[in-house]
Amino acid sequence: MVAVVAVLGIVAAACGGNDSTSSSSTDTGSASADLSGGTLKFAQLADFYSALDPQKEYSAVTWEYYRCCLLRTLMSYKGVPTDQGGAEIFPDIASAAPEISADGLTWSFTLKQGVMYGDPFGDVAVAAGDFIRALERTADPAANTGGYSFYYSPIKGFDDYAAGKADTISGMSAPDDSTLVIKLTEPTGDLGYRFAMGTTAPIPPNGDAKYGAAEGHERNYGRFMVATGPYQIQGAADLDFSVDPKEQKPVAGYVPGRSLVLERNPNYDPATDDLRPAYPESIEVTMGGDNNDLYNQVSAGEIDFVVDGAVPPNKIKEYTTDPDLQDRLNVYPSDAVRYVSFNLAMPPFDDIHVRKAINWALDKQGFRQVRGGETTGQIAGHIFVNSLQNNLLADYDPYATPNSAGDQKKAMDEMKQSKYDSNGDGVCDDPSCEGMLTITDREDPYPDQAAILKDNLAPLGITMDVKELERGVMYNKCNDANSHTAFCIGPAWGKDYADGFTFGGPLFASGGLWESCCNYSLLGATPDQLKGWGYDVTSTPSVDDKVAECSAAQDEARFQCWADLDKQLMEEVVPWVPYLFDNSVDILSPNVTNYSFDQFAGLAAFDHMAVSGG
Amino acid sequence: MGRYLIRRVLFMILVLFIVSLLTFLIFVKLPAGDPARRAVGKSTTPEQIEAAREAFGLDKPLYVQYARFARGLVPFPGWFLDEKVYYSYGNFVSVKEELFRRLPVTITLAIGSAVIWLAMGIPIGIVSAVKKGSVWDRAGMLFALIGVSMPVFWLGQLLLYVFWFKLRWAPKSGLDIGASIWVSIAQGKFILPWITLAFTSAAFYARMVRGNLIETMGDDYIRTARAKGLSERRVIYKHGLRGALTPVVTMLGLDIGALLGGAFITETLFAMPGIGAWAVQSIGTNDFPVVMGVTIVGALFIAAANLIVDVTYAFLDPRVRYT
Repeated sequence: MVAVVAVLGIVAAACGGNDSTSSSSTDTGSASADLSGGTLKFAQLADFYSALDPQKEYSAVTWEYYRCCLLRTLMSYKGVPTDQGGAEIFPDIASAAPEISADGLTWSFTLKQGVMYGDPFGDVAVAAGDFIRALERTADPAANTGGYSFYYSPIKGFDDYAAGKADTISGMSAPDDSTLVIKLTEPTGDLGYRFAMGTTAPIPPNGDAKYGAAEGHERNYGRFMVATGPYQIQGAADLDFSVDPKEQKPVAGYVPGRSLVLERNPNYDPATDDLRPAYPESIEVTMGGDNNDLYNQVSAGEIDFVVDGAVPPNKIKEYTTDPDLQDRLNVYPSDAVRYVSFNLAMPPFDDIHVRKAINWALDKQGFRQVRGGETTGQIAGHIFVNSLQNNLLADYDPYATPNSAGDQKKAMDEMKQSKYDSNGDGVCDDPSCEGMLTITDREDPYPDQAAILKDNLAPLGITMDVKELERGVMYNKCNDANSHTAFCIGPAWGKDYADGFTFGGPLFASGGLWESCCNYSLLGATPDQLKGWGYDVTSTPSVDDKVAECSAAQDEARFQCWADLDKQLMEEVVPWVPYLFDNSVDILSPNVTNYSFDQFAGLAAFDHMAVSGG
Repeated sequence: MGRYLIRRVLFMILVLFIVSLLTFLIFVKLPAGDPARRAVGKSTTPEQIEAAREAFGLDKPLYVQYARFARGLVPFPGWFLDEKVYYSYGNFVSVKEELFRRLPVTITLAIGSAVIWLAMGIPIGIVSAVKKGSVWDRAGMLFALIGVSMPVFWLGQLLLYVFWFKLRWAPKSGLDIGASIWVSIAQGKFILPWITLAFTSAAFYARMVRGNLIETMGDDYIRTARAKGLSERRVIYKHGLRGALTPVVTMLGLDIGALLGGAFITETLFAMPGIGAWAVQSIGTNDFPVVMGVTIVGALFIAAANLIVDVTYAFLDPRVRYT
């Protein structure tokens, strides 16, 4: 979730604004007939990454379209902020929460009756086997490029199917059309969240085709996608799945790179859905354009919302200072964290005291200021965003300094305990502290942040060799263990779903090491791995056991476990300096009469947005 | 002329080959990351990356990879922009299908802006040349100076802000969903993009016409025409302008050829779904087949424009003969 976070989080505010959440008329989740109708008009700067294919799309923007509108899943979200239950999952196509065996290895879902597919499968009801079909396609390397199939590896037989060693996923069965049974290889407490993701949405059968309606569309099922939500892509009724897939014409309502139109799904029964008010009659999305111009269009009421833009500084100032506009500005935590990472295999970062010293020294307020000030987010005192731990660590900041500006004295006191400060004067004496390879994003404001960090570290005897790179290259370099990058300044990380595993697993467990992603600190690397990557350091701390423990936990114990891991990381491992919990900042057109923030996707909840004239 | 045309076509093929090779090498050597890794996303396994590499043909030797792409550049049925090779790594759309879908927008932008810059630039250049040293000349050259100095991205944003956002004299950027090119033209959607593209070129052409006409008006045959008693109007428009505009034809062909490859900034700024906007997006995502396809089509237009212009020159100027 790094790229989308980078887009949503890059805002620059003028002075003013506040870092408490504010919202316009937030919907409570109950549908109101008065709000229904009208056409919502959106703009997107960029097209969907993978043409809307559910097994490929790895983007919060697309996930919101799935959740709000196109694809129902076994479990799903209400499309509201955390404090209104937005981080919790609720039964969607499932009739109730799953039954979980005592050992946590068997999950059983019972399906609601009467959930029908959209056109042209309007007379077909969703059945348990359709979920198996979706998971098989999720496992299929020909279909899942760019997706997140790794989340489903705990399902027995999933990896064997993916490797071509089996014809079915042995751990999934449908004893009848209404019952889905999933057997796991290890307890996975957040499986319900994983079955709230778009890749698990059911795919209708189509004759004998193994992947049903998706058969033959390994690359582009998104253009043939059959909906289950309150909306479908315009023109879905004209899809013809009776002909060979190569002869099928894609849906007319989605023109890649240009536009997307969603119309109501005529086969959708609101009585089966407690989660989605689905106010607008239709949603029209245009793609491309200039960020500043699109936000002018929002102000003018020509469009209602920019899905993937960054509100320009002048607009933020305008909307925060004009009383008539303030209720059209929405600021919510986007559940993403920005951080500076250390490579623990690179001296002097193999010494925890050096890492702690930098945590004391970093001017987090300065970092936030160059990003645009308080509106951009809350100073981060720890790693996991608060919603993933149910706010258990909301006030926890083990390296708190006055005004979060850094404390050089405390930093030097910490440095004195390091083996790299041979004379105990608080300054690193070792050559490894000089010219440390530092990677950052070349776009604003990251070079300014690098300059602040340079100033913060100079008194500690640490100097940096800063390389400014294009964003994609930056992430690649930070991730590549062979690059021997000491510092990464530019990264950010957002949750995939509202569970700590989406942080703990990829960021700190050994499964996230190169060539996988995104354990930049090399936690849990084996001596052979470190040697293979060219390091003299022979070991790094590991939190694999703790991540496994938390992955298996459930309910409140799960929140506590992730909170404990967060503390362990901040105090005993120190792989990062987290500095900002990002905010999502939106402005709305004068036409929008209702709004809610979907904490799952970190965006506006499209199904909750109502327009005047509806 | 026949032999000349054959030589030029062969040379054009050589140029396109070199362009394709350079484009390929740039992308192979760019540090922008492995396209397969970008495609599979994060938290993946080496096996998944290898599977993606194999699917995209990136596991083959470089010369084999290039050969696959080069084959797709040959205008032979079944070969040209073959969908098995030329598809977007991002959304898997066929490059050929998408190019042809976007081409009308780019053509409309190119031709419309050309009409405007000729309609602006040539008269201004003529007036400046004829009234050399006068306040009209100074005004014309001030226009030219501003025009060539003004960045396209700045001008476009200024026009949008003033004429759409503030004055509502022009429609907002982008094309309406489902609207055809003709409907969009009728709605005025192309006016600001045309002006944005045309302004700089109009300024340049004004300077060029002025300079050429001043030079031509000093020629002997112009003195002869005056001596014969022809009116000044006739001397300028029938005799002077013809010689002065010949280089304009050359530049026009090249400029239109370049624009047909995509007006990157204008299309992006005005949300025009043309080839240029697509190229910008694809470069940012390291979508090599798209970039290769757009680059070659752009190079083809420029090379073809060069050829057409040179041939046209021979018809315009009888002194020019190709062998």
